[in-house]
Amino acid sequence: MRKNTLIDRRTCLKAAGATLALPLMETMGWAESGKDKLPKPPVRLGFMYMPHGVLQDQFWPATPETYLSSPPPALESLRPVLDQCLMMKGISGVPISPFNGAPHALELSTWLTAILPDAPTRNRVNIAISADQVMANYVGGLTSLPSLELATMPQTHKENQEGLHEAYYSHCSYRSPTQAVPAETNPRSVLNRLFGATDKSGQFSKTDPLDRKMLDLVIGGARDLRKTLPQNDQHKLDEYLDSVRAVERRIASIETRQKEAALEKAGVSMSKRNASDSPPIEIKIPEGDKRSEYMQVMCDLNVLAFQTDTTRVSTYIGSTPNGVSYPELGFTDQHHSQTHHNHKDEEKMRKVAEITKFNIDQYAYMVNKMAKLREGDGTLLDNCIMMWGSGLEDGAKHSRENLPFIVAGKGGGSINTGRFLDKTKGNQGDLLMTLLACAGIPVDRPIGIATKEMGEMKS
Amino acid sequence: MTKLRIFRISPFVAALVSLGAISSLFAQDDDPEFAALQADAQKSFKDGVGPFAKKYCFQCHGNKKKKSGLNFEVALKNPGNPVYRKHWQQAVSSVKAFDMPPDDEDAIPTDEEREQFLKWIAKIKFLSPKDPGPYVIRRLTKVEYGNTLQDLFGIDSKVAEDLPDEVFGQGYLNNLSSLQSEQFLQIANAVLEQPQMQKLFENEKPAKGADFRKEARKFAESLARKSYRRPPSDAEVEVLLKVFDLARENQLDYAGALKLMTKAILVSPQFLFITPAKEVVTDKKIVPLDDWQLASRLSYLIWATIPDAELAGLAESGKLHELEILKAQAKRMIADPRSRALFDGFGAQWLGLNELETKTFDAEKFPLMTHEMRLAMYDEARLFFESIMREDQSVVRFVDSDYTFLNGTLAALYGMENTITGPEMRKVSLKDPNRGGILGMPAILATTSFPNRTSPVIRGVWVMEQLLGEEIPPAPANVPELEKQDEKVVANMTMRQRTELHVTNPTCANCHKVLDPIGFGLENFDAIGRWRDEDDSGGAIDAAGELPGGKKFTSPGELKAIIAERKTEMARNLTEKLLAYAICRQLEGYDEIVVDHLMETIEKNDYRMQTVITEIVTSYPFTQRRIKN
Repeated sequence: MRKNTLIDRRTCLKAAGATLALPLMETMGWAESGKDKLPKPPVRLGFMYMPHGVLQDQFWPATPETYLSSPPPALESLRPVLDQCLMMKGISGVPISPFNGAPHALELSTWLTAILPDAPTRNRVNIAISADQVMANYVGGLTSLPSLELATMPQTHKENQEGLHEAYYSHCSYRSPTQAVPAETNPRSVLNRLFGATDKSGQFSKTDPLDRKMLDLVIGGARDLRKTLPQNDQHKLDEYLDSVRAVERRIASIETRQKEAALEKAGVSMSKRNASDSPPIEIKIPEGDKRSEYMQVMCDLNVLAFQTDTTRVSTYIGSTPNGVSYPELGFTDQHHSQTHHNHKDEEKMRKVAEITKFNIDQYAYMVNKMAKLREGDGTLLDNCIMMWGSGLEDGAKHSRENLPFIVAGKGGGSINTGRFLDKTKGNQGDLLMTLLACAGIPVDRPIGIATKEMGEMKS
Repeated sequence: MTKLRIFRISPFVAALVSLGAISSLFAQDDDPEFAALQADAQKSFKDGVGPFAKKYCFQCHGNKKKKSGLNFEVALKNPGNPVYRKHWQQAVSSVKAFDMPPDDEDAIPTDEEREQFLKWIAKIKFLSPKDPGPYVIRRLTKVEYGNTLQDLFGIDSKVAEDLPDEVFGQGYLNNLSSLQSEQFLQIANAVLEQPQMQKLFENEKPAKGADFRKEARKFAESLARKSYRRPPSDAEVEVLLKVFDLARENQLDYAGALKLMTKAILVSPQFLFITPAKEVVTDKKIVPLDDWQLASRLSYLIWATIPDAELAGLAESGKLHELEILKAQAKRMIADPRSRALFDGFGAQWLGLNELETKTFDAEKFPLMTHEMRLAMYDEARLFFESIMREDQSVVRFVDSDYTFLNGTLAALYGMENTITGPEMRKVSLKDPNRGGILGMPAILATTSFPNRTSPVIRGVWVMEQLLGEEIPPAPANVPELEKQDEKVVANMTMRQRTELHVTNPTCANCHKVLDPIGFGLENFDAIGRWRDEDDSGGAIDAAGELPGGKKFTSPGELKAIIAERKTEMARNLTEKLLAYAICRQLEGYDEIVVDHLMETIEKNDYRMQTVITEIVTSYPFTQRRIKN
């Protein structure tokens, strides 16, 4: 039986102690900072997902004029930062014909690819590189982690719709058309990944100084093996080589940090950050098994990763389109079954509204926190683009016309926030293209079905 | 008008993939019987499907109109081309469901013509080239990786538990991300810190004056052979020795150098992937697996770990590929307790039990659904599966059986808590005909329910898809949901009466008239598998129903007996699912012919479980691989 459950994980986290010290944090900073003037922080881009769409009339502001003064109930928790958010109604998703029978397998997998899986090879993963990974290709080399992928649940749901591979159900991030990127679900592993392994007391253990050279030799051997294999096998080995090189780079960056920390301790200032910047946030690993606390620590990790410039692009699958329930809200009905309310069943609609609000609340927790962290001349949120959204417009109809999404953050001044544009025309690909452009990524070909950048988003 | 009807699409029609260019088929195929069948299939398309399509389809789906993007005039020129897969799939479902041609057309095929058309289309499997599939080198799954470490070094397999869970399904996701690679290195570090590893390295200390490098080579050869599950090449040993040299140059002692070398093994692709023993130099497109690869394939299938000494010995002597030896080895391995891996890897997935441990249940309504209960439910299904497999019973026993495995916790669901107590699971014979077999088994009844109530529909779909191998199309969005169709009328209805509202709606009726009766027949079992005579509304359970073909039942026991008669479908479904699991990919094209052959032997052997397994491990796609496209 599967061991990696929420409960098991909790038990093991409890043993780890509640708060972990982060001794190296102070030295983390922008790799390319200038010497004399305040360095301009880079733009970071994060995505957070909720499946099954929303109740349209409870999600969208009534009018552009009332957006700030009386936002709809679903957005209540975002009220403190609404002036730093942008909402646009009228973004359509990818039409899913010929996969009409697979609305939920596709809502997540098309979300950041803006394209359908390849039909003849539908039983394998064959879609397109996702927008987050496009960004990772440009800026991933500048940070110790090229990108960060998080999820609340293990991505193991098995349901075969329209003959599509099961991975489409639970993955939004694609390194290449044929490579779905698995997400981390264990907060402690994420912490290790971000800042190197810690031992039980929360202190960082040392990396093995010979690991990189050893890996070099192993890579050499793998290249020899590659030559002897048929073509299909060679592609697998390329994935291996790609992933091991990433590990080498991670070790190198951790070693650098450790050296800097040692110098720092000896009184040599290595910090590249501004004295006025907020110190890195603390991570408190929850002891209970409340979904809200669990999602919040994942959000914290995302904030910390951005704050310390450990990565510049992240995805967080807050929930997958399978049978997730929210006992914390006082009912055990599964999200999906409640969305088929046919716009008549008021009890189900109430539950959908509560689940939606719950998800937005966690997102709001994250962006509110980012808005309070000082960075450069402004806040961390000022330099980020945090998108929340869903891959369906309305779960009852499986429609994909007005996809719900919220963009928080000014993207380093590139996004004109504090507005609700109620008559936008564009598709999911256009939106992703524009977000990448605002993050400073020179996109040389359209994302999925994109046809244009959406100038109305920009400052 | 679009109606949804249930149709049997075999996975093959659903996946007419990778057929390749038809013209090249005959040259590569030297089997005259197969060639004759191919010729017959060509003829059927030319003389049968062609005229049928011309008469009934071309008007809307030909060169002129191409409605819904379907052009059968073009598809017929090269019917086996995967591009047209969807064409034939849609043709089969629409013609079978009487959706096409539309009722207002002048020319409507007779029932016989429809049937004949479907038979012709079914021959499309013969248009696939004889192909075992590529058998791409594959990464060990999380479970296999943990078990392998355990068997190599005596380390607890839990060391791997932080790896991301696998996405299972049609084969698993054979990808490797940098996240996994990082964790492989971390886990290797954790393994090497274990006391038994330190001891292993210390014990290797060579005598004074011995040639350290020579001793290290011996160690590397021996460990690489076990870890790579095949003899390492000279070049591979050289790489390991370079790691040894690296350690020595950096002033590590002998044990420390062995340790670094071991770490190199544990992060090498030869360890993480199942790789062929040698480069195959040939012009052939299809070659047999070498014996080492075959040993690994077999061992990871049945045990989810490395081959043991006996298997490795047979690979070494080059005998393993002999079919009788392969069969005997499979039987030997099934008898070993490690074959529970086949349940954990395949059985649990087949029965849908992987989410049982974490699935939410309404705690107020079902206080019995504790962690212990979930484990006991899982173990019941596992022990039952293992007993059918080890005792070589017919696969029909999965449905129709008179025993199960219980402990005190689980016995409460059977109303047997007075006679069965204590935490250990034990074999229990059952007198109640409603129990015995997976249709009356709590694990399955619970995973096919909602958190707070039963779902006759989900149970019906489960039986049709998982047990009988039928494909059920998903319900369209935005159909009226059950509960609030008319609040006043519905309020006092039983779950059955509510569900029966499906059949009053023509959109729903087609599928639900088949699905729902099965679920009704199981309504006596509540959402965690307890017997009940009344449902949540207080109304009496009516478990009577009728399946297509006029077979009637009045209780779960009678329903079970009817399903158990469908031996061929059940056995074929299980064989197809297990074959797909064994070869780590979805079945397609030529595989259907393979399964046809397997079924002949399986049927002759009364659908015995071990025959299913031995047929699979000696089958064409299990023992051969395509190395060129």
